[in-house]
Amino acid sequence: MLNIWSMKKKQKEAENAEGQAAGGKRKKVTAAQLRVQKDLSELSLGATMKTDFPDPDNILNFILSIEPDEGMYRGGKFTFDFAINQNFPHEPPKVLCREKIYHPNIDLEGKVCLNILREDWKPVLNLNAVIVGLQFLFLEPNASDPLNKEAADDLRSNREGFKRNVRTAMSGGSVKGAPYDRVLK
Amino acid sequence: MEVPRANQTHAGPVYKPRSGGRRISGPIRAVQDSGHVCHTSHRYFLLETETNGGGSGAGGLGCEILKNLAMSKFKDIHVIDMDTIDISNLNRQFLFRKSDVGKFKAEVAAKFVEQRVKGVKITAHNKRIQDFDDEFYKQFQLVICGLDSIEARRWINAMLVSIAEESEDPDGVKPLIDGGTEGFKGQARVIFPSFTSCIECQLDMHAPRAAVPLCTIASIPRQPEHCVEWAHVIAWEQEKPFPKLDKDDPEHVTWIYQKALKRAEEFNIPGITYSLTQGTIKNIIPAIASTNAIIAAACCNEAFKIATTTATCLGFENNYMMYSGNDSIYTYTFKHEKKEDCPVCGREARPLDVDPNMTLQDLLDSFAVRPEAQLKKPSIRAEGKTLYMQVPQSLEEQTRPNLNKSLKDLGLENGQEVVVTDPAFPLEFNFFFRFKAESS
Amino acid sequence: MTEELEQTTLIPQGPSDKEKKYDRQLRLWAASGQAALESANLLLINSGAGTVGIETLKNLVLPGIGKFTIADGAVVQDVDLGVNFFLDESCLGKSRAQCCTELLLELNPEVDGVWNSTVTDATSLQELLNAPETFTMIMYSHPLQPGMLEAIEAYGRQHRTPLIAIHSVGFYSYFRITLPGTFPTVDTHPDQTATTDLRLLSPWPELSEFANEMTKDIDNLDHHDHGHIPMVVILLYYLDIWKKEHGGAYPTSYGEKTEFRQLISKATRRDNPEGGEENFDEAFAAVMQHVTLPSVPSSLKQVFDYEHKDEQDSKSSFWIIAEALKQFYTENQRLPVAGGLPDMKAQSSVYIKLQNIYKDKARQDVNDVLSRVRKISGGENIDLEEVELFCKNARFVKLINNTGEAPPSMEQIIERELSNDEIAAIAGPEMPTSLIPIYLALSVPSQSSVASADEIVTAVCQKAPALEGNERLTQVAQELARAAGGELHNISAVTGGMVAQEVIKIITNQYVPIDNTCVFDGIESRCQVLRL
Repeated sequence: MLNIWSMKKKQKEAENAEGQAAGGKRKKVTAAQLRVQKDLSELSLGATMKTDFPDPDNILNFILSIEPDEGMYRGGKFTFDFAINQNFPHEPPKVLCREKIYHPNIDLEGKVCLNILREDWKPVLNLNAVIVGLQFLFLEPNASDPLNKEAADDLRSNREGFKRNVRTAMSGGSVKGAPYDRVLK
Repeated sequence: MEVPRANQTHAGPVYKPRSGGRRISGPIRAVQDSGHVCHTSHRYFLLETETNGGGSGAGGLGCEILKNLAMSKFKDIHVIDMDTIDISNLNRQFLFRKSDVGKFKAEVAAKFVEQRVKGVKITAHNKRIQDFDDEFYKQFQLVICGLDSIEARRWINAMLVSIAEESEDPDGVKPLIDGGTEGFKGQARVIFPSFTSCIECQLDMHAPRAAVPLCTIASIPRQPEHCVEWAHVIAWEQEKPFPKLDKDDPEHVTWIYQKALKRAEEFNIPGITYSLTQGTIKNIIPAIASTNAIIAAACCNEAFKIATTTATCLGFENNYMMYSGNDSIYTYTFKHEKKEDCPVCGREARPLDVDPNMTLQDLLDSFAVRPEAQLKKPSIRAEGKTLYMQVPQSLEEQTRPNLNKSLKDLGLENGQEVVVTDPAFPLEFNFFFRFKAESS
Repeated sequence: MTEELEQTTLIPQGPSDKEKKYDRQLRLWAASGQAALESANLLLINSGAGTVGIETLKNLVLPGIGKFTIADGAVVQDVDLGVNFFLDESCLGKSRAQCCTELLLELNPEVDGVWNSTVTDATSLQELLNAPETFTMIMYSHPLQPGMLEAIEAYGRQHRTPLIAIHSVGFYSYFRITLPGTFPTVDTHPDQTATTDLRLLSPWPELSEFANEMTKDIDNLDHHDHGHIPMVVILLYYLDIWKKEHGGAYPTSYGEKTEFRQLISKATRRDNPEGGEENFDEAFAAVMQHVTLPSVPSSLKQVFDYEHKDEQDSKSSFWIIAEALKQFYTENQRLPVAGGLPDMKAQSSVYIKLQNIYKDKARQDVNDVLSRVRKISGGENIDLEEVELFCKNARFVKLINNTGEAPPSMEQIIERELSNDEIAAIAGPEMPTSLIPIYLALSVPSQSSVASADEIVTAVCQKAPALEGNERLTQVAQELARAAGGELHNISAVTGGMVAQEVIKIITNQYVPIDNTCVFDGIESRCQVLRL
């Protein structure tokens, strides 16, 4: 113990050679915050996406909005709550769609079926990967193994009809008796 | 780094055997004689048990650790545990009886051991470890963890690394001893914060919980667990049979069980039981008294060796012991290497001499000409405070007004830690401010 | 099978209080293991500082052992209170056996415990052992009084009782298990990943038919259906193709398997919305492990080749089922199908069908083995469940204390360990050195508290001349001399935990016990298991 300490002390002395030792509290940035800061500074959002931080000091909670400029969901504005806890990046961020939308891979409660948000999450993945994944869902909705079974059946059996239903839902109408939120800009 | 070798310890502090001393068996008495014991009142030891409900195996370590520390003659012990006693704890948490169900674990355990072992003082805190600050943790010499979550382990680890890094004397380095069990298996590890591989360095030792794709649960279940998850994640959300899910409430578990059973029948999936339901939603890890005994005592043995210096402890060479009792007995004791890029202990914050009256913009500009790295697009944050972020756009707009403010006006203090990131550099930079005497 | 039945008839209700209390351990050894524990009757013969035995019992009382007896002639002294948690000030001057029994019983009202304070020498121990009560297991802690060991060993032989010797001094300990004969275990709880047994290279007609049916128009399936063909079916289909292209041979070598994997990779569709197929990825990943010829692992071969020296032994249900299984294997040149199917991407109904094909085959095989069991004398009353478990675990059954093979002599063992140490010295810290000096130094007869380091070294070298001048032995002896026969609570607690695990494994006949001695080094924090 003493040996290692004397080593450390030398290092400290060198640091403190000039100027006074710093006083006050040295509150450390948590590992989760640090990683989110890093992920955010590497973020490259295209013109179709925006973030909104209700409290800029709290970077673990924010809203992402996606406005697809192509595909069947073009013209809509979809927003997602990102909630990141202190166990990030050991655990994936929790992402929920804030609107009730007609989409095979997003259920009516806003849960999103995206592999890297659950079973395929790895700490080396970053927020950018998640955001790209979400964007992809609007370009290529996937009818295989859906969360919203009706929407998936619809997409698989009648692509044109599905497209029409997506437009109806996006404008706040009802599809098969279920009302959806208006998401058109 | 000079490392004590095992053979040196054999010649280490010689303690005299055989004493008729009261309440002290041979070796421990001898240790005291040699003056190496640390049971005096200014030495504190801290023990933590699990931090959140669920009782998945950690309170079991806690009871054992308290007993072992008291029997090792540690005199002043604090125990933190916010949990209360559940009936399923009684098969291993031997300081609790059936009549204690519902009471605070920390309180009951502390009282029991104080009564049984004369001369030990145990202070119970029925709280979460996160409810205490660095001033609290600084009073201890050593921390032993029997925690049940990775999150809690990471938290206490970061706390102790930070205390060690700031400290001006050796007492700031508080060895962290961590234990964990699962069934017949377990591990014990010793960390000298800021010197040896820390819990964050070792995160890859914790396999992430295997998750099933949400779409499998929603549309193509094949296993009984898929049906339970469906009832737990999807049916519960849709129907909300009770205002808030309490996984310890039998009524709630039964609701999920019945839902899962129905879904399983629909898909002809066999194997749903109440026990499986409970195990799946609570992620129950099997726990037994004997494994807890092994791991807790292995941890306390390290604490004893550190405190008395009677033998080499784990830490500087080997620092991690894995134990498995499934197939014969197998231990693997090895050295987990410190990670140079560990976000917690990897790069200690460097001092940054600044004038508190300089603007944030001036500070950022100065990063562009620093010798170690010329940062072209620096973003800077402090704990709970976003000073300036270059991206994303909304955050840049929100923090831009800060650029013209002085560090002082931004509420930054002498000694403040800041993290600077730049997309051109894979690693972040940690600094702490050292304020120059104010010029005006 | 039974589980389906259970599911439809079960009235949902929560677990009983007892199930709740034992929930975390029932998840390991189930109701059958718990029942075995609850009917066990343990004897602890305590001596010396006496903590390690009590720590062991604590870990057995908590999970609900049936009954224990502590035989200990000692009277509680101050020094006991320093190491033994199950004593307090009020115990001073009383029987140590009694006080420990009373405080242990507080831990679990369902456990029965008695004490005997008259056992002070071989004669009084003999009296206790002569009583009509029979013990499931006996644990004894060293140092014992002269003659006691002989009495215990005689009892063990006569009643076929497993014995465990325990010795904990200073930073060191060991324990040694003496089993009455070869000890077979069926329910060894192998790792889940190891148990998968898909028979891809020897499919039976129903399985082939199922695969053929699903893949007969594989190229014209839509993305959805193609993306949901179970991995097992994919592999069977492409193995067939491979066979046709390779003159009926399967891919067996590493190179062939790599090539076969490419076949799967090429067949994966990537023009779908996902840009790939999870089921084909699963098939690709399964090739190396699961495209293998079934084989008989060496542990099972030991069972098949076992020659009985003990007539009594061969009549146990284990050996009768083993005999039937051997017949099954000889005739079919394969083991029974285990029946489990790992989870894989598939439609629910398809997966369940496939699962049932494996289950049905397993059931047929079990019935075949059962009918052979019935024909063996003594096999008339063996349970279906027992045969089921044996067939399911056939590849993982294990013999401990195999009396069929003669163990090496102590001299040979020491020689082996010392030569390993020479290799370790070159290999560096990655390879740990032998702990046998600890065992030998602890086993010096009447490891008396006054023995000096030199005396310990001399005594060990008398029995094991190869250790003359061994540096490690000198260190160990110094450490033991320093401890002077005293127990360190932590070391006794670690040891008590390990011994309790072993007792549980032996009584429940689940998991795999050590064969037969475990040495613990509390300075280096590691164990070594040796067959001595």
